[in-house]
Amino acid sequence: MLTFITRRLLFLPVVLIGVTLMIFVAMSFLTPAQLVSAYIKSPEELKNQSVSELVVKYGLDQPIWVRYINWMKNVLKGDLGYSVSANMHVTEAIAKRFPATLELAIFAVIPVIFGGIWLGTVSAKNHNQPLDHASRIFAIVGWSLPDFVFGLIILLIFYGLAGWFPPGRLSVWADNIILSGDFVQYTGMNTIDALLNGRFDIFLDALRHLVAPTITLAYLWWAYILRITRSSMLDVLNKDYVRTARAKGLMERLVINRHVRRNAMIPVVTVVGSMILGLLSGVVIVETVFDYKGIGLLIAKGAQQMDYTLVLGTSLFYGVLLVLTNLVVDVLYAVIDPRVRLE
Amino acid sequence: MAVAKKGELLLDVRDLKKYYPITKGLFRKTVGWVKAVDGVSLQVRKGETLGVVGESGCGKTTFGLSLMQLIEPTDGKILYNHKGNWVEVNAKTIKGLRSEIQMIFQDPYSSLNPRMRVRDIIAEPLAANGVTNRTERYDRVESLLKAVGLGSHHMKRYPHEFSGGQRQRIGIARALSVNPSLIVCDEPVSALDVSVQAQVLNLLKDLQKEFGLTYVFVAHDLSVVQHISDRIAVMYLGRVVEMGDVEQIYNAPKHPYTEALLSAIPSPNPDVKDNKIILTGDVPSPANPPQGCAFHPRCPYATERCRTERPELVADENGHSVACHRAEELMLKGVDVGETA
Repeated sequence: MLTFITRRLLFLPVVLIGVTLMIFVAMSFLTPAQLVSAYIKSPEELKNQSVSELVVKYGLDQPIWVRYINWMKNVLKGDLGYSVSANMHVTEAIAKRFPATLELAIFAVIPVIFGGIWLGTVSAKNHNQPLDHASRIFAIVGWSLPDFVFGLIILLIFYGLAGWFPPGRLSVWADNIILSGDFVQYTGMNTIDALLNGRFDIFLDALRHLVAPTITLAYLWWAYILRITRSSMLDVLNKDYVRTARAKGLMERLVINRHVRRNAMIPVVTVVGSMILGLLSGVVIVETVFDYKGIGLLIAKGAQQMDYTLVLGTSLFYGVLLVLTNLVVDVLYAVIDPRVRLE
Repeated sequence: MAVAKKGELLLDVRDLKKYYPITKGLFRKTVGWVKAVDGVSLQVRKGETLGVVGESGCGKTTFGLSLMQLIEPTDGKILYNHKGNWVEVNAKTIKGLRSEIQMIFQDPYSSLNPRMRVRDIIAEPLAANGVTNRTERYDRVESLLKAVGLGSHHMKRYPHEFSGGQRQRIGIARALSVNPSLIVCDEPVSALDVSVQAQVLNLLKDLQKEFGLTYVFVAHDLSVVQHISDRIAVMYLGRVVEMGDVEQIYNAPKHPYTEALLSAIPSPNPDVKDNKIILTGDVPSPANPPQGCAFHPRCPYATERCRTERPELVADENGHSVACHRAEELMLKGVDVGETA
């Protein structure tokens, strides 16, 4: 197991070079003049020097491999460059925005995993009965509804009409407290920080802002987990060892929980792995709809402004995250299924 | 074998039926029934082995699973002699009878949970049937593994680490764990190599002597059945067509179907000329069995009466029963088996 993990981690740099190289090549379609805009923090900078001087100054006239190596040198020093769109260093921007996305992901993942698996179990147990049909319709709707449409519906109902769950991350008053010196931001996740600071009112306010995006994210993935669990459960229910379990005289509950569900979890783990990754990176749309200032919104805005230092930096970050998540999933396989050997 | 015959009745199956509905259309309307088991009656005595034979699809596995209530029978009664009291085996009572009636399954590869360790597979029925002490359970597992020819070092392993024969031994140990009286063996060796088959069969025989077990042994392989059984029931299309002692069935079969089955047993002696009776046609569909005797379309001796009238299973004075109109007049060929062990 340890050799397996080590080997996979040794593979990490290869993946990262691949990812960044691809983005670099894509970036090379931009002219040096377009690229230089990423370095210009304010119009004043153009007063004393021309764009072509800046191009030379930042080495953008160099061939692509030279620029790549220069960028890599900085990365190895821990410098991902300065993001104009975020008006701060890329590392700083990630550190600031990622906790928000992580917080949203955590809130979405918990109901998704438990609810999805539970509903899938119920559905499989009542195969082809009304309960099964109902949960399947629920799943199909969730899976086929685009998240920006569903998000807007949620926003319309719960904010527009009811006024319960506003967009953003915090109300203005809470934001002011958080930014004041008295409030310590331990994790960057508002709910946890609020509890650690003993501010229950801020905790509730943060929670109120989390509800709508959580529902939007959860419904989509719920549908997916439900369907995977259901079909996997149905598959296992027909296995001979389930019949053996019944012959042993076990209670039906034990047969389902101990024999069927444990074996049915193997494909679910794969999906959960990619889901967590998706929640951490692909929530651009949901964060945009709800104006939730997480990393998705950061990337979306950066990309619109051709802020390629930001795009490169966050891609690198997600490359690392991807490799690590896949590693965890692969290790989990071995834990779940004794037939799997990690080599 | 003569001793086994004297044992008291343990199992009494009366007119057992299992029909599966054939559904059609949007609203799954039932348009017919597959009569997998269609009125099977038989008795099993304590300590004996009843072999149930027949070709694929004749309902023998369905019969075995019905005995265990793993399939709920459509009709009929299964009575079990529980310490002198007759108990009807049904969905309600089976919970209490799981420690009396156990089953060995056909496929040792798929019938063991791949995520459980051997000791837990074998110990689980104990926990389900009231042995709450874990050490006690594992002690029992250890002695069971020894009884089936495995060792205590196998306890912590997973099923995939074993060969087919070893896995079937695990399956046997699991069935034995609750100390049952009756074991339904559903083709327990058909998935194994011939060399391993003999080992497992001998193990089953040894265990029968050691623990005083009664077997209902479902199989399609006549040489296997002959090796282990005291009595044999031959099934065709969900019904018993002939039943009797091993010698009666093998030496002097009375049903043309049994004769054809026996003639198909391969002989190890190359000089013996094969006189295989090749049955024409396929097994008729159990959804639409032929009128009269179900075997008549394939029977070389069929008469007009066979086409119209269904023969009942009738026993002679020696306890050899057959369902054939022409049983008395036909002189059918058996095989020479001599004394069975």
